[in-house]
Amino acid sequence: MSRHRLTGAPLARINVRAASLLVPRSERSNWIAEWTAELHHLCHAPQDEVAESQHGDPLHFSLGAFHDAFWIRYDRLRANGLYRVRSGSATRCMLILVTAAFAAFLICLALPSAHNALLLLPQHRSADLVIISGNGYAGTQAPSIALSDYEEWTTDTANLFTQIAFYRPTTKPVYVAHHDSMPLSVAQASDNFLELLDLPWAHAVMPASKPGEPRLVLSRTAWRTLYHSDPHLVGRNADVGGRPVLIAAIIPDDDWRLPGKIDAVLLEDQSDLGALPSRTRGFVIARIRNSAFPPPRGGWRKMVETRDKVTRGFDCISVSHLRGQPPFVFLFSLLLASLALPATTALPLGDLPRRHDHLPGIVNARRWIFLLVKFALIILIVDLCSTDLSYGLYSSDPIRALYIQLSTAFPALLFGFRWILQDQRKRCPECLRLLSSPARVGQASCNFLSWNGTELFCVQGHGLLHIPELPTSWFSTQRWLCLDSSWRGLFPDSCSPSPGML
Amino acid sequence: MTSDARLSHTAAMILQAIQAGHIYGFSVMQMTGLPSGTVYPAMRRLERDGLILSKWEQQSIADAEQRPPRKYYRLTRTGRVTLEAAYERYPLIEKMIPTPEVERA
Repeated sequence: MSRHRLTGAPLARINVRAASLLVPRSERSNWIAEWTAELHHLCHAPQDEVAESQHGDPLHFSLGAFHDAFWIRYDRLRANGLYRVRSGSATRCMLILVTAAFAAFLICLALPSAHNALLLLPQHRSADLVIISGNGYAGTQAPSIALSDYEEWTTDTANLFTQIAFYRPTTKPVYVAHHDSMPLSVAQASDNFLELLDLPWAHAVMPASKPGEPRLVLSRTAWRTLYHSDPHLVGRNADVGGRPVLIAAIIPDDDWRLPGKIDAVLLEDQSDLGALPSRTRGFVIARIRNSAFPPPRGGWRKMVETRDKVTRGFDCISVSHLRGQPPFVFLFSLLLASLALPATTALPLGDLPRRHDHLPGIVNARRWIFLLVKFALIILIVDLCSTDLSYGLYSSDPIRALYIQLSTAFPALLFGFRWILQDQRKRCPECLRLLSSPARVGQASCNFLSWNGTELFCVQGHGLLHIPELPTSWFSTQRWLCLDSSWRGLFPDSCSPSPGML
Repeated sequence: MTSDARLSHTAAMILQAIQAGHIYGFSVMQMTGLPSGTVYPAMRRLERDGLILSKWEQQSIADAEQRPPRKYYRLTRTGRVTLEAAYERYPLIEKMIPTPEVERA
């Protein structure tokens, strides 16, 4: 026996043991016994018996164990249904679509603005909450109300609003350590701002501040980045834009549903706000008095006579209506795509012969269920992806995000629907696998009397699909020809494939 | 598996090697020149298709020779009929791996 063969034996045994991990547990001991016995024979066989072989090296021999183990595992998986996932199968198509939808959903979860827009988390008591705009819907995205107007309305509109508040987004340096400041997006707001919003956390007991001392409410992200999640921060003083303020609360990022990207809210009393120039523009939000007006669905226009006797109109737009825009925009895209679809592709799925009616009902039902599930998944994927894209890119500008969503969802839905119909037409109605091997059949005819077109077949031998090159009155759409079981032997996948058998 | 199933050349060689008396996996490798990664998976599938049958040799024989027991293979009746049919397709196989009877003749 060769010394070389003996020295390679331990490593070969390790290889066999490692490969055995691929083998199903129930067969593993037998499998290891066979390979170990063969390896033992190879290592201890007389020199003349093994010398003739090219495979006398135990290490080389043991590498085959991986191949063997892999095929055993593969065969078991096939037997357990993995074969359904092979190329072109309905299961594979479903898996790809479900994976895409899941990936889009995960991205949506990772983008707070996207999942807020998608899930439409209800804001506490938002039904009677309105935003007053001096410039229609555009005015809900940029400050449009002068501070002087707000001050006037605080006394003049008691019969219309129960509460009215002002805020203006601004950037202020926040000093976190000596000579170390960071710019922060701060909503400089009137003192009653939190009470008006009536958010659950607003009822929490906040530390008392000195008279005239502004209170700062930080977002959770700002708390993490500026103060490294200091648990004892609330109640301490901070310096915002050179003024000492009291840190009153830390709020979840999702709670801010009003226009503007805000890291913190600075609550100031009326005298501090009054120190600002009277033309300073900001947002005004209010709660309408239900006894005076029923809550409007979209909004209404409020006419105001100013001190200089000029009548000006302002829009009172419901906050819940503003927040309801993303699903409306997507539904509008869906409607547009559904209307445009017949103009871009043929809707019929092709002719099925009468014999097809004799197929079990479950086979026919499965075909239609497959089509409907594809539609549902494509709609879901497009909704998630367009929301991810639009609200991921323009989280601070919901109006622009709506336009982006509309312009991405419509073409994506249209192409998705086209693909669904084309994919369905190229599938076997019985096993739902994609048809293969397209072949040109017939010759082009000058008088259109002879047929020519493309022929595809189902690899499981269920039938042939004829697609006419030129639709005629007697052969306008694709036609499916069922084959009986006597043809099955000709088709590659009609019986279980085996490496030993062709 | 029916006897009229078409065998690949590799499968026919393995069946012929077993028919010729090379009943262990390693002997089949030596006789056909095929690597272990081809022979063993192919033999498992031939067995699954009912063309060959495997058995463990008796422990006493292995003990007498101070080695682990080996698994040996033999052709089933279907395997023999399939191999006969394969001779028409691969006439050289019989000459490449002759059975003892043919060698004696």
